[in-house]
Amino acid sequence: MLFAVSAMAQQRTITGTVTGKEDGLPLPGVSVKVKGTKTGTMTGSDGKFSISVSESGAVIEFSSIGYLSHSRTVAAGNVINVSLESDAKSLGEVIVTANAIKREKRTLGYSAPTIKNEELVQGGSPSVISSLAGKVAGINVTSSSSTPGSSSRVVLRGGSSISGSNQALIVVDGVPIDNSSVIGGASVLSSVDFGNRGNDLAPDDIASVTVLKGPAAAALYGSRASNGALVITTKTGSKSDKMSITFTTSNTFSNVLKLPDYQNEYGQGYYDKKPANGKPETYTIDYRENGSWGAPFTGEILPWGQMIDGVRQTKPYSAVKNNVKDFFTTGFASDNNLSFSGGGDKTTYFLGLNSLNSNGVFPGNYDQFNKYGVRFNGTTEFSNKFTAGVSFNYTRIDANEVGGGQGAASVYNNVLQTPRDIDLPSLSDLNNKYNGYGFTDAKGIKHPNLYGYYGTYTQNPYWILQNYKNLNDVSRVTGNFNIGYNPYSWLNVKERIGIDTYSDRRRTLAPKFSFIDGDESKDQYPGNNARTNAGGYQIDQFNVTELVHDLMISATHKFNDDFEGSLMIGNNIRQRQTNSLSTATNSSGGLVVPGWYNLNNSNGPINIITDQITKRRLIGLYADLNLSYKNFLFLEATARNDWSSTLPINNNSFFYPSVSGSFVFTELLKNSSINNILSYGKLRSSWAQVGNDTDPYQLLTTFSKATVNGSFGSTVFPFGNVAALTAGTTLGNINLKPEKTAAFEIGTELGFLDNRISVDFSYYKSNSKDQILSIPIPNSTGYGFSVVNAGEVQNKGVELSLRGTIIKSSDITWEMFGSYTKNNNKVLSLMPGVNQISIGGFSGMTAVAAVGRPYGEFYAVTNMTDNQGRVIVDNETGMPIPTTTAQYVGNYNPKYQASLGTNFRYKHVSLNVLFDTKQGGMFFSRTKDITAFAGVSAETGGNRFGAIYPNSVIQDAGGNYIPNTTVGFIKQDYYTGSRPAGTNIVDGSFVKLRSASLSYTFTKEQLKRTPFGSFAVGVYGNNLFIWTPKSNQWADPEINSAGAGNLQGFDFTAQPSVRNYGINLKVSF
Amino acid sequence: MTGCKKFLDINQNPNNPDSADPSLLLPTVQASAGQIVGNAFQVYGNMWAQYWTQSPSSSQYKTIDQYNLTNTSFDRPWLTLYRNGLINADLIIKNPGSGLEFTKGIAYIMKAYTYQLTTDAFGDVPLSQALQGNGFGSPKYDKQELVYDSIFNYIDRGKVLLAINSVDPGAQDLVFGGRKTDPAVSTPTNIIFYWTEFANTLKLRAYLRLAGVNPAKAEAGVKALYASGAKFLTIDAAIKYSTVGGNQNPMYNEMVALGVQNVVASSTAFNAFKNNNDPRLGKFYEMLPNQSALNSIKQGSYASESSTIVSYPSGLVGANWTNASSATAPVKLISAAESYFLQAEAVARGWASGDFIALAKSGVTASFVATGLSAGDATTYFTNAQDGQVAFDAASTVELKVKAIITQKYYAMCGFQGFESWNEYRRTGYPNFLIRSVASTIGAGRLPLRMLYPNSEATSNLNFPGNVPIYTPVWWGKTTITPAP
Repeated sequence: MLFAVSAMAQQRTITGTVTGKEDGLPLPGVSVKVKGTKTGTMTGSDGKFSISVSESGAVIEFSSIGYLSHSRTVAAGNVINVSLESDAKSLGEVIVTANAIKREKRTLGYSAPTIKNEELVQGGSPSVISSLAGKVAGINVTSSSSTPGSSSRVVLRGGSSISGSNQALIVVDGVPIDNSSVIGGASVLSSVDFGNRGNDLAPDDIASVTVLKGPAAAALYGSRASNGALVITTKTGSKSDKMSITFTTSNTFSNVLKLPDYQNEYGQGYYDKKPANGKPETYTIDYRENGSWGAPFTGEILPWGQMIDGVRQTKPYSAVKNNVKDFFTTGFASDNNLSFSGGGDKTTYFLGLNSLNSNGVFPGNYDQFNKYGVRFNGTTEFSNKFTAGVSFNYTRIDANEVGGGQGAASVYNNVLQTPRDIDLPSLSDLNNKYNGYGFTDAKGIKHPNLYGYYGTYTQNPYWILQNYKNLNDVSRVTGNFNIGYNPYSWLNVKERIGIDTYSDRRRTLAPKFSFIDGDESKDQYPGNNARTNAGGYQIDQFNVTELVHDLMISATHKFNDDFEGSLMIGNNIRQRQTNSLSTATNSSGGLVVPGWYNLNNSNGPINIITDQITKRRLIGLYADLNLSYKNFLFLEATARNDWSSTLPINNNSFFYPSVSGSFVFTELLKNSSINNILSYGKLRSSWAQVGNDTDPYQLLTTFSKATVNGSFGSTVFPFGNVAALTAGTTLGNINLKPEKTAAFEIGTELGFLDNRISVDFSYYKSNSKDQILSIPIPNSTGYGFSVVNAGEVQNKGVELSLRGTIIKSSDITWEMFGSYTKNNNKVLSLMPGVNQISIGGFSGMTAVAAVGRPYGEFYAVTNMTDNQGRVIVDNETGMPIPTTTAQYVGNYNPKYQASLGTNFRYKHVSLNVLFDTKQGGMFFSRTKDITAFAGVSAETGGNRFGAIYPNSVIQDAGGNYIPNTTVGFIKQDYYTGSRPAGTNIVDGSFVKLRSASLSYTFTKEQLKRTPFGSFAVGVYGNNLFIWTPKSNQWADPEINSAGAGNLQGFDFTAQPSVRNYGINLKVSF
Repeated sequence: MTGCKKFLDINQNPNNPDSADPSLLLPTVQASAGQIVGNAFQVYGNMWAQYWTQSPSSSQYKTIDQYNLTNTSFDRPWLTLYRNGLINADLIIKNPGSGLEFTKGIAYIMKAYTYQLTTDAFGDVPLSQALQGNGFGSPKYDKQELVYDSIFNYIDRGKVLLAINSVDPGAQDLVFGGRKTDPAVSTPTNIIFYWTEFANTLKLRAYLRLAGVNPAKAEAGVKALYASGAKFLTIDAAIKYSTVGGNQNPMYNEMVALGVQNVVASSTAFNAFKNNNDPRLGKFYEMLPNQSALNSIKQGSYASESSTIVSYPSGLVGANWTNASSATAPVKLISAAESYFLQAEAVARGWASGDFIALAKSGVTASFVATGLSAGDATTYFTNAQDGQVAFDAASTVELKVKAIITQKYYAMCGFQGFESWNEYRRTGYPNFLIRSVASTIGAGRLPLRMLYPNSEATSNLNFPGNVPIYTPVWWGKTTITPAP
């Protein structure tokens, strides 16, 4: 019958694809009409259409909101491809939302800013996540050391989960990818930053990143997107386009951004008698010391270090001001990308190849990070209304990370403790008998068991770099396959299978050695200053495989000229499997043969640290209804039900809805004079609820292999041949129910003066409750933790983005933009009777979730203060008195964040600068602690005997606190003693020049006689400068020893961050 | 939908079993006691009983000599006691399996032993509501007197179970190797297990602990024990360690991990050994390679002795990280010597019949033999030492007899049973030559008489009774102890 009709009318079918002119991406929902007839259709989600025309010469009209209309006359061919130019006036930006669905921005009831590739790569950072810093409101990016491969954390609208992840979900081309952050080393105390997996993406492969901030935006991803999502779209080719070959190269230099402030008055040693009865203090010069508590500098030539071959070296007794700064070298990284893209009539392809090779700021070739990637994205159309696409990405990382913290492998910890008069860079030659471990004396006799290095409490950091390794080997495949079917113009069926699978293999090498000091004089080195280590070798193998299936059926219908709607229903199935195996040589025995790093070389039974597999599955059904009225009133409702394997089987189903609306009120003012000023105005609002499941295996209490731990050692089973088990740590809970987050958002988007000025503002509030927590219970119950549903965390905040074009002419454009974000976070409740839960912590400092306070509050013993905040000091010693109990001493979350940037273009030169700031957060600095302990930091300088503790009070006879003007303290006694952890909390506020770039693009005219289609060259930088309050004399507040996890603001002698700057070049053929 | 259900039914933990055979939990219970007696409480006990003091060239245990401890110091031992020791003992007892009587008997006795460690250290502790998981999420603290009643009860139940013919745990029992009988006292009709002797000796120890605070109860208990024909330990009830990494003496293992020697000889015990011409001095302490003679420093004098090279405890007792033989030092839960001294005290108090001097001498001999000396050496020593035969002969009152016994017991426990020695000092005030650590920061006249409740309980248990100062005696503790000047 259909055939008959069609045959009788003698019609032709015209097909084609509509794309956006700016990005070449397919445009869905474009109205396609035959002029003067009632025949019409719409493009599908892939931008394709198919329409019948009765004769040649018919005119087809293409129109879409936000784009300038376009007409084409049907000629001989049956294919018409159109690219539409966007209509700047209507702000009709199309963005990619949940499940890779393209939506017009004006229809959205929630804030969803998008960052395009050009903006993303401006600062030249190899991390996609770090590149987002300061670019949109409501996003909190913490970049740690800013070196290639280092961790960066992204949290949208504050943390809401007490013990789960608070990071945004990362979705690439519709498929969520893993963003694990497993910090290396035994703990934060000896941390090794192996980065987080979200940074495996190559920024150059990315077309755009859309930030879906609230649960409403992410409702369709369900549980995992309750913290929002970064929806990343990778580059594709364009149809019927010649192959374009693009090569970009960025060559980056880096150096250390911020080091502690030092004192330059006192050298190695310590005082042994304080000044008394008019006599000055006396000092001991101790050649072994790591402390700079010695006598004031005199400049005279004095001996130092060990006596070897009858000779002790000499040097001037004066400060080597840059001895730490000069230890670090200039790092270099080369990031190269080559891509091929294009398409035929029915196909598109994109092939990207990239490599990143970096040698960081530590001396020598030890801190290496190498990453290689290949991406292929392709699409094809079949004649039978089917389409198919494939996206494939392979990434490989090969790196050696330098250890932080205070472990034996920590380089920075040893660097920081160098006395102010010792020229650290001069100790780099390990073959020099005074610098190394094991040496040959003047008579040619080898002393493999003696060391000549001056320090007996610290190791030569050059030697640590040479001998300790933290090797990393990552191999990862991500991608998806999809098939689309377009049986009717109003109906689209899409099936997508995504995969993310990787192997992350880490090997930790610790040398076996036993040295004693080789000093011949024995006056300062009594011969028992042993440096020994049993050595060790550990392999951590993580395998994660995630499979995602989505089937989406969408239908669109135009009820009349004013009223349109679409409905999508979908099914999502996902499975995540993890496999962790950590094995090491015997924890006490170490290695048998030095230098042989293999488990076969274990001195004693192999230590199986972790052997764990987990598997979880989730089935979801969802629906998404969109209605629009007259192009100014939009309503969206979503609903989803999930069934999770990790919840009790009879309680594993949870439903969550969302509703959002948008009202473009300027449409009603179109002909009024207000429109001349207010060219665009939209109000939006949304409400959503998101459910969440939990980790696998939380329901039952289990047993584990027995280990009975002491404070440092442990009794490990098997004991001889005797095996043993022990009751598990955590009480399972068979009655768990899903977590719930409810969020409300209201906002507006305004454009003034022909959209020269635009404003985007949001207010939001979200409450997460029934959180699944593993709460600490008294050990006297026989268990340590109990899994419960409890707790409520609230986030409230505002986000403001402003953008203004100051000058817009053909030669010059000058644009300024800025953002402001304020999030108030509060823990509303935990369990009945539980007021506080520890998130983590070390060295007497804990970060907690405490009722009535923001998440992530620092909790520790600190200096006692009077009611005016002045430090109470002891009447005799002048030293601060510690509080008797732990106090809340600040929070790592900033009080507000802001950014300010500018884009300036003059002809072919463009300049982009971005500043950002976080104000009001605090961080814990062990860098402060250790540099004070060693007497090297600025605060330990000045008058060391009798200086008055700043802003201190003493108690008078009447019990009142009076300003202390008389009782001084002895700095060495104070700083080498035990100071409470709270005194190492430092103001984490900063302003950074986040990125800057200057580029020149050659014109087509200039390139006429070259093979290049385009050619641009530029200089760029990121993390360029930092301004911190005077009170922060120690470190960049962004560094963090715990990587991208919930424990933030912990500088546990974390690696210093670096500034990066370089030259890039982009050519295409 | 059934397909869906099956698809999602994958939440069975493949990494950890959800049940455990009691014979696999038993070693954990015993190894926990080994960690406590042989490491955590070993350090406190040996320092507070003044066998050892903080080395002047390291700093780990300064706060112990200062009596200046924080609640967090006790988080780890409390965890070990409840979550490695007591809970697993309780899970063995509650196991529904049959034929497990002997294993359950040991579990009851180990539970009694571990609760005694816990209450002796901390005083009132959770017992009646403890170990019940979410059933009692905040277990209340029971009076020490009630804890002791439960200890007696557990011992009795354990003894009953031991007598039932059942599966032999064998090597899973790290202390005696299962159903081993004492050949010295067993007869074909009356088989005596070492575990039964352990139970009796433990009960004797527990009743004598109450001799000061509740003499009537102690007397009745001891008399009833003897009336039942109880036999006591004649060998050490000990866990033997090896040189294998993770299977070493727990204190040695800890010291190797720290990579430094923190404890050295204290003059308190050192001089007492010397004054008695005790050949065990050279067994309990060891010279450094660059030392020509053993020496010691005053308890807590690390600050003023910074340049002194001080002798280390010997490898024999597991507290010398430079001596690999420390790895194999046994941890004695109850020693043979202790058994004899307990019996001597029961006799001295008139609650049992026998010769208290002979029993004490057996204790001395057992101690000598355990350190590698001979019975003859013991006799020579006992005859000549001022705290030997002379003191015993001169002991005209019960108090003086107890003093003589506890003083000898003090010598025997050096390095091996520091915690129990400190317990007996807190109970009796003997030996009377212990001083106040010169590093003390808790005020004149005060001594450490208990351990502090752990911080973990203070922050998580709604029924936490509040901190008790370190110088407050526990319920059974002697209220007036005067340290030597």
